[in-house]
Amino acid sequence: MGKILEITDLYAGYGNEIILKDVSLVVNDNDYIGIIGPNGGGKTTLLKVILGIIKPYRGSVTFFNDRQGESSNGESSNIIGYLPQINQIDLRFPIQVADVVLSGLMSKEGLFSRYSGRQKKLAESLLSRLGVYHLRKKTIGELSGGQLQRIYLCRAIISSPRLLMLDEPNTFVDTKFETDFYEILRDLNNDMAIIVVSHDVGTISWYVKTIACVNRNLHYHPTNTITQEQLASYNCPIQLVTHGDIPHTVLATHKH
Amino acid sequence: MTELFFELLNYKFFTNALLASVFASINCGIIGTYIVTRRLVFISGGITHTSFGGIGIGYFFGFNPIVSAAVFSVLAALGIEFFSKKADVREDSLIGIFWSFGMALGIIFAFLAPGYTPNLMGYLFGSLLTVTPLDIRLMIALTIIVTLFFVAFYKVILFISFDQEYAKTHNAPVQFINYALISLVALTIVLSIKVAGIILVISLLTIPQTIANLFSKNFMNILILSVPIAFFCAFSGLLISYSLNIPSGASVIMSLVFTFIIAKLFTIIVNKLSVKKAVLNQKKPTKA
Repeated sequence: MGKILEITDLYAGYGNEIILKDVSLVVNDNDYIGIIGPNGGGKTTLLKVILGIIKPYRGSVTFFNDRQGESSNGESSNIIGYLPQINQIDLRFPIQVADVVLSGLMSKEGLFSRYSGRQKKLAESLLSRLGVYHLRKKTIGELSGGQLQRIYLCRAIISSPRLLMLDEPNTFVDTKFETDFYEILRDLNNDMAIIVVSHDVGTISWYVKTIACVNRNLHYHPTNTITQEQLASYNCPIQLVTHGDIPHTVLATHKH
Repeated sequence: MTELFFELLNYKFFTNALLASVFASINCGIIGTYIVTRRLVFISGGITHTSFGGIGIGYFFGFNPIVSAAVFSVLAALGIEFFSKKADVREDSLIGIFWSFGMALGIIFAFLAPGYTPNLMGYLFGSLLTVTPLDIRLMIALTIIVTLFFVAFYKVILFISFDQEYAKTHNAPVQFINYALISLVALTIVLSIKVAGIILVISLLTIPQTIANLFSKNFMNILILSVPIAFFCAFSGLLISYSLNIPSGASVIMSLVFTFIIAKLFTIIVNKLSVKKAVLNQKKPTKA
């Protein structure tokens, strides 16, 4: 089990506004981290810094290559698969499902080359694995929220990333879909580390291995059970939604 | 109509107009697809009107107005793209500023230009029949550049247009493609001014694509379909302009709008029929 990335003393934000302060985090292979926290607390910002979309003001994000130890910085794209919030895209854009999935191979491809038959087969096998093969020729505007999430998941994992990052995958979907989706993620977790952002703490704590509370600062909580008191001590003002079948262990006070 | 066509082919001005329609249709078909799918219609309108500043400068200093408009509008396009990202100004407000600034500059220079300013109305409303061989050579050069650019970068253009932020996570050359394409948008607009005029050229960049979009929801198909649609409308507009003796720019737009209405009605009828058919097919098994 190797280290994938390490964030040290990170400060980041937009323009003059610092959103993340003094954040440190290590992500290892097969980790499954749930990121929770209030709106505007910096959850998405953290993902964007890891993805290299936002440059940090201070501190660093270092990626570690499988074999040769430390790798150069900009190489994050082959390591990370990313599933953005689906409300960010233009649903009227004329693009087919199969093309969306193949766009997940952008950085593995030259700018000029066409897709090989092998890559198209790979896209199709992922679509069947997630039960959406029949949608491959549809335009994205014709899909439901749940179907779109699956297409996005295919795009995120087609490059076989070491780390999969998902931003609010449970918005716009029904409970049945949500359960299926998290089962799929649990399966994927055998092959890759996962970071999932959500404000539905109750649901994700059932699936994730560890929890990170992000509200300007980051507090890492090395189990998947968390109490209201602990959330308060992490300065993480969110409501704990309790679903019936989720075990809630009250832990001894945890030092961080 | 065919007799009229062959009769007109004898005239140099007509063959020039015809060639201009062909190349403007190719350029506008391709670039317009990018504009429409990426929702850049307003910025394109802004660039179009800003280019009038370049035309005024051309008249005043005695350059070819199309050449100075090309330079001026590429700079304006790059300016809008740059300042909307770097300066803390909303993009649409910035477009409004460039839009009126360019027009004002054009009016001042055209007013100050020594002597008579011929064809000024032609630049505003289009004048296909005054297309020069230089215009055509410039349009051919642009067609080659635009076509090569889209063939070489098709995948990247598609992915960046669809989801720019995701493309950034893959280290795609987002900035390069954005700047290059906005420059091509500016050049396409300026070199199509002779066909439809500053005030009307936006129609060539949006209506063919909207018509194509009625029949296909695929980026590549819209791009390819838009070219013949644009040419059909430009060509029929040209013939109408000649036979009724009305301004060509306006008749081209009329042709585009009517084609759109007919196409829209056609798809409505086809959809109704296919729904009817589907309902009938549903009923059959229950009867048997």
